[in-house]
Amino acid sequence: MKLRSGLASRRAASLVSALLVVACGSDNTVNPPRGSAALATLGDGIVAERYTAEIYVRGYYAYTTTWQFRQAPGNAVKIWNVAGDTPVLIDSVIVDNARTLGDIQTSDDGQLLIVATEFSPGSIMIYSLADPTKPQLISRYTTPLTDPGVHTAEVQRVNGRLYAFLCIDPASGTPARLVIVDISDPTTPQQVFTAQMGSPYVHDVYVRDGILITALWNQGITLWDIGGGGSGGSISNPIPLGNVVTVGGQAHNVWWFHNAATGEKRFAFVGQEGPGVIGASSSGDIHVVDVSNFSAPREVAFYHLDGAGTHNFSVDETRGILYAAYYNGGVRAIDVSGDLSSCDPADKSADGRCDLAKMGRELAHGPVDRGAVYIWGVQLLNGHVYASDMLNGIWKLNPVP
Amino acid sequence: MLAQTEMGGRDFIQFGGQAIGVVTRESPAIHGQDLTEGYLTQPIVMGQLSPWGEVFSLKTTLDFEGATLKRGELNAGITGEGYIDRRHPHTYLHELLLTSAKRFGMNSVSGASVTVGKGFAPFGTDDPMARPFEKYPINHHLSQILERAVAIGALRAGSWTFEAGAFNGDEPTAPGDTPNRDRYWDSWSGRVTYLPWRQGEIQTSYARVKSPENASGGGSDQRKQSASIRLEDVQHTGYALFEWSRTGDYVGSTRTFTFNSLLAETWAKYDQVSGALRIERTERPDEQRLGNEFRTPLPSSDLSIAGRSRWTIITARIATALTSSRNFAAEPFVEVARARVSPTLQPSGFDPRQFYGSSQIWSISVGAKVAFGMTHMRMGRYGVAVAEQPEGKMGGMNMEGM
Repeated sequence: MKLRSGLASRRAASLVSALLVVACGSDNTVNPPRGSAALATLGDGIVAERYTAEIYVRGYYAYTTTWQFRQAPGNAVKIWNVAGDTPVLIDSVIVDNARTLGDIQTSDDGQLLIVATEFSPGSIMIYSLADPTKPQLISRYTTPLTDPGVHTAEVQRVNGRLYAFLCIDPASGTPARLVIVDISDPTTPQQVFTAQMGSPYVHDVYVRDGILITALWNQGITLWDIGGGGSGGSISNPIPLGNVVTVGGQAHNVWWFHNAATGEKRFAFVGQEGPGVIGASSSGDIHVVDVSNFSAPREVAFYHLDGAGTHNFSVDETRGILYAAYYNGGVRAIDVSGDLSSCDPADKSADGRCDLAKMGRELAHGPVDRGAVYIWGVQLLNGHVYASDMLNGIWKLNPVP
Repeated sequence: MLAQTEMGGRDFIQFGGQAIGVVTRESPAIHGQDLTEGYLTQPIVMGQLSPWGEVFSLKTTLDFEGATLKRGELNAGITGEGYIDRRHPHTYLHELLLTSAKRFGMNSVSGASVTVGKGFAPFGTDDPMARPFEKYPINHHLSQILERAVAIGALRAGSWTFEAGAFNGDEPTAPGDTPNRDRYWDSWSGRVTYLPWRQGEIQTSYARVKSPENASGGGSDQRKQSASIRLEDVQHTGYALFEWSRTGDYVGSTRTFTFNSLLAETWAKYDQVSGALRIERTERPDEQRLGNEFRTPLPSSDLSIAGRSRWTIITARIATALTSSRNFAAEPFVEVARARVSPTLQPSGFDPRQFYGSSQIWSISVGAKVAFGMTHMRMGRYGVAVAEQPEGKMGGMNMEGM
C-alpha cells in the first residue's frame, strides 16, 4: 500500500489539469430529452493524474480503479471517504504489474475487495477489508487462462460460497472465455468452471437467484442455470437455458430487475457498448429483455440517447429507476416501473419495440453544468448516487427526488 | 546473384536479397525518454521463376524480420498488427504467387492475367519496402493491404489497367501466421490505373476489408480508399509520389471512425549520391497499450479507441552507393525525421504530450543497405498490372537503395 502524498503542489497541478479539461469542454454535446430534470450534484473528488474507471461503494467508503495511462499508469485503486457531500481521497493502493484496473467490488459481507487487472498478466487481486481504509493484499489469482486480461470480475455468493466470475479478454488465437473461481478461501482461490464464450467478447455477467446471465457481445445474452433454474445446473456445470441476440449486438452488461414493488422478475436490462472514443464519444442503447420465460427471452423495449452510449447500471428496485452510466452523456435516470413491453403505437420503433425515450421515461440526468464528463460506473447506495468519471474522478449526486 | 540464367533474352530464374543494418535514436520515444536501438531490418530473399515467360511465373519474397525484429522497429506514429510506435515484423512468407498472363498481341502491352497465392491485394500504392526510405510512412496500413491469400484478375488495355481481387480480411498476428482459412475471400478490392505516359502512373482504388483487427471475426470492418500519382524519369534518377488514402471503420453499415492520410515523397540521384524527402500527414487511432507500451492488445477488448491523433512527419534522407554492380550493392544512408503529433479530439483517453513528453519527436537513423542479385521489384502489383513493357526486365525501379 502506498499512502497518497498530500503535497500541495501536486494537488494544485491536478486541480489545474482538471479545470483545463472542464474549460476545454467536449467535442460531443449531449442534449437531454425534454422533461429530464437535473440530478443535484453534491460534490466531486478530483482525479487528474489518472483516468478513473469503475466505482464500488460500501458504507462510508468508495473504491475506484484507474485505466491505461494519463500522467500516471492505471494501476491505482483509490479509497474515498464519501460520508460527506464531497468525496475525500484517503488512500491509494498501487497494483504491481498491471496496466489497467477494471472492475472492483467488495464481497457481500464487506470482508474482501476484488480488483480485476488487464492486460497480460490478467488477474484478480483479493484484498482484506478488515480496515476498509487500508486494503491488505491476500492473494493474486492468475493462471494461463486469465493471462490475456480479466475484463470484469463479478463477485456473488451462490449456495453460501463466494465466487468471482471472470470475463477474460480474447487474445491472438485465444477466444474470450468465462472463468468461475471459488474465493471462499481467499488465500487459495479455486477454479470451478471455465468455457470459451462470446463473439468475440464476453464482457460481463449478472448472477442472481441461481441464474447466471452472460453478456456475449454479438451473441447477445445467454441465461444459465447454476442452481436456480430447475434444470440441474450448478456453479461447476452451468446449463444454458435460453439466449437472445439484442438488437445491434455488442451486449456488454446486464441487470436482472427484481421489482420490489410488485415482486415481478420479468425484465433484464442489457447495455450495448458500441464504438466510441474514450473521453469524447460513445454509442449504444439500453435493451429491455423479457426474461419471464428463461428458455425464450425476447427484447421488448429499448432506450436510446442521441450522441452517447451506455455502460454500467445500478437500479433502484424499490422505486423502479434505472441509473445508467452513459459515458459522455453522464448519468441517466430512467423510469423502468410498470410494463415496459406495452406502449402506444406512436412510441414503438419500426420493429415493434417500445422506445423508452419516446415514452418520456428519462427522469433526470447529471452531473449538470460541470463540463465534459465520461461516466464509466454508477452506484445507488443509501440514498445517494455515486458515479466514476474517467476524466474527472468521482461524483456524488442526489437521486431522483 | 546466386542463380540466374538467361533464356531467350528473358530471365528464367531470378534471385536476390537485401538487408539493412540501422541504428535509430528517437527523442523522445516514450514518457520523455530517448531510446537508441539497432536492428537488422528488412532482411529478405526474393526470387522469380518464369519457365514459360509470362504464361506461368512464380514469385516469392521471404522476410526474416520475425527473427531479427521481434520487438518491432522504432518508428514514431506507426501502428498495426499489435504494435504501436514500432513497426511490426512482417510474416516470413511475405509473398508467394503464381501468375499467368496473356498479351493480346506481339509487342502489345495490353493483356490479361490471373494471380493466386499470398501477397498484396490490388489496393493503394507500392509497399514502402520498395520505396526510398528505410523508415516506413505511418500510413502503411491505410495505403497497402498485404500478406493476404489473394486471387487477382487484371486487365490491361493500352494505358489503362483494371484489377480486382478477393482476399482474407484478417491481418497477420505473428510472423509465422498464415491467412485464416475460414476468412478466405471475405474481403475484396479493386484498382484502376492510368498510365498517361511511360513513366507516369495515376491510380485510384477501393477496398472492403472484413474484421482486419480481429482475426476470428466480429471486429470492425474497414472501407478503404486510395488515390495517387507516381512519376519516375526514364533514366530512373528521379521519382515522386503523391498519395491520399482514407480508411473508415464500420460496424455493420455504420461508420464509426475515419482516418486520413496525405503523403508526398520524392527521390533523386546524382552520380552515386541520392537524396529523398517525404512529407506525411496521417491520422491514426490511439489504442490501449499493454505492459509493453509499444504493444496493443490484439484483438482489442472492445470496439472503442482511446483517442485519435494527427501526425505530421517530415523525413529527409541522403545516401551514397559505395558499390554498384549487377550483382551487389551497398548503400550507407542517414535519415532524419521530425514528427509533430496532436490529438484530434479533446478530451480523450490518450494525450500524446503526456504520453511522449512532447508533441515533437525527432528521429535519426544511420545505417547501410546491402543487396545482391535481382533488383528489388516494386511491390504490390502482379501480372499485366506491373507497369512495364512485356519485353522489359523485371518490373521495378532500378534505383539502388529502393
